[in-house]
Amino acid sequence: METMLTVEGLGKSFKDKQIISNISFEVKQGEIMALLGPNGAGKSTTIRNIMGIMYPDEGAITFRNSTNNEIPRNKIGYLPEERGLYKNVKVMDILLYLAELKDYPLNRAKQRALEYLKKFGLEGKDNVSVEELSKGMGQKVQFIASILHEPELLILDEPFSGLDPVSQELFKDEIRSLAKNGTAILLSSHQMNLVEEMADRLFLIHRGTKVISGSLSEVKKEYANFKCTIHGSNSHQVLESLPEVERIEHSEEAAVLYLSKRVQPAIWLRNLPEQLDVQELSIDRISLHEIFIDIATDKNLLKEAGELHA
Amino acid sequence: MSCMHNTKKVAKWEIKRNLKSKSFIIGLFLTPLIFLAFLLLPELFSSDDEPATTTVYVNDQLGVYEQLEAAAANTEWNMELTNSTPQEAEEALEEGTDAAYIFIGEQSVESGTVPVYTNDETSDAFMDEVQQLGGPLQMVQIEQLGLTAEEAGTVAQGIVFEDASNEPEQAGLFSEAMLERVVPGAFAAVVMLSIVFTGMAIFQSASQEKKDKIAEIILSSLTPAELMQGKIIGYFVLGLIQVVVYVLIALPVLIWRIDVPIIEYLFVPELLVLLLIAILGYLLYAAIFVGIGATMADISTAGNFQGMVMMLPFSPFLFIGPVFSDPSGIWAQIGSYIPFTAPGVLIMRLSLLEEWPWMEIVIATAILAISVWVFMKLAGKIFKIGILMYGKNATPGEIWKWVRT
Repeated sequence: METMLTVEGLGKSFKDKQIISNISFEVKQGEIMALLGPNGAGKSTTIRNIMGIMYPDEGAITFRNSTNNEIPRNKIGYLPEERGLYKNVKVMDILLYLAELKDYPLNRAKQRALEYLKKFGLEGKDNVSVEELSKGMGQKVQFIASILHEPELLILDEPFSGLDPVSQELFKDEIRSLAKNGTAILLSSHQMNLVEEMADRLFLIHRGTKVISGSLSEVKKEYANFKCTIHGSNSHQVLESLPEVERIEHSEEAAVLYLSKRVQPAIWLRNLPEQLDVQELSIDRISLHEIFIDIATDKNLLKEAGELHA
Repeated sequence: MSCMHNTKKVAKWEIKRNLKSKSFIIGLFLTPLIFLAFLLLPELFSSDDEPATTTVYVNDQLGVYEQLEAAAANTEWNMELTNSTPQEAEEALEEGTDAAYIFIGEQSVESGTVPVYTNDETSDAFMDEVQQLGGPLQMVQIEQLGLTAEEAGTVAQGIVFEDASNEPEQAGLFSEAMLERVVPGAFAAVVMLSIVFTGMAIFQSASQEKKDKIAEIILSSLTPAELMQGKIIGYFVLGLIQVVVYVLIALPVLIWRIDVPIIEYLFVPELLVLLLIAILGYLLYAAIFVGIGATMADISTAGNFQGMVMMLPFSPFLFIGPVFSDPSGIWAQIGSYIPFTAPGVLIMRLSLLEEWPWMEIVIATAILAISVWVFMKLAGKIFKIGILMYGKNATPGEIWKWVRT
């Protein structure tokens, strides 16, 4: 798979404040690369630097097939975080204008626009003025605009924000199918649960610097330790005496045991003491969502995991 | 090259978008109609306009009626002989028709005055026109003095005070020679006002782009400079469309109403200079509009600074008084050298002056052209940052910082 975009050592500061520093990743053909992080982590700043809307203070951004460092704008689809549409124009007019700006053939754009409008449940809205659309419909039109010209690289900044669950699924399916057809996709989000199931690789950013990166399975293996949730009335001492327990979140009826990295679940389960009160038991990995919350709230769960790993 | 390509696409879009908007189309036709209405309404209401057919009753005791009729040939009168006495005439006039009574007898020739009775309805011009009847009566006077026909002829010729200077007629605004200069100037003024007023929408277009948050989507396909230039060119073309509509609606009416060979006066070499000044003026104001528009989140929240800058295109109006009273005076010259007032002031001056001050024109135009270049550069810097700043208006301090980078 060819690398469509390479970001190396990107840094940007406003006045004296460093917004991002030493950000490096790449996006390959046909993969979904997720740029994750809480609000204000520097995701949009990174993307705006890639899009040439801001100029980085340090680092390099390289696109495939680009000569003398120019951004191949016509090959990129971009859905910014701050987005909207002209109000008093027809849906089809604006879609065709945005396609025209990408030098995409108009009759083909028109045909694709009609297909996509239908796909997104907006059939017959092509002649409707933008101001008559609901917010969700507007988001769909913006999304269509970003993919109408068949971009090789698609950059989506918080594509799911403000969408209802049905539309979220619609977007997810479309993004997946675009990637399957070879589009390189860079996706930023603060909604980890949405991204977890679709990203091939991820880059987690906090306060402008990298926290975790790698393929989803790598990251999970590396950072997402097992946790065991037990419903039942057990004393703290009993739970504490269990092997491989690093941390306990105990409430009256249930307890969450965070297990160490080297735990082997089957063996660990077999060795549970008989006097343990188990009404219900589940064992799974810490989700990305939990890791994310951890980072955003500056708990040190991940740090522990990281230190242990080191 | 690719830059021009994108600029053209933006320009085309702005043109298409406006031509599809109802409010633009209404404005397009309404402005020339309002202009015509202001020009023609006063004329419609004034009674001078109607051809006044005054019925003139003549009580002729001298038998000069035929000569009188000949002397009054170019009036709109309806002349009739009458035997009424002055008393009867006054009673008849009380009925209130457009009429007049003239009493000509021996006494008139001796005293040199002819009693004329009129009423309110009598045309205003009548008392001027009636003087034409003096000729035949003078002839009677001269005959009675017993002069030879030749002597009589000389005396009857009267004495005319003729203007011997080379100035053709007194230079009122609508004298023939004046119109010859005013027509190209007025046309240039219409062109400039049309493109500048249409261009004011650039300001709205730029700030709306921020408000609708589409700027970043657009800028993922082209550079801020291309977007800005596209807007400036797009609204220039829209302004020209306005000029064409103006000409199509107003010109036929003006040619019909004003008895002047407008077309002949219009297409003179001087028009090119005037149009160049008008276009430079547009570009200067357009740069200001697009730059300031990009600093504002919403038109309704325009600060004092932005409001004041928006008023710059109106600054030439400050010079109307001084320029009209002395088109070569110090104020007129100052106005020509200040870039913001130069377009308006130059067009006014060149419409009024018979001899164009070419040296001044060249210097003033050069200053204007350089200002256009400088302001385009500044607007570019402001636009680039401002267009992506959402949610708040830029302060003059911030704008100054962007300009300095």
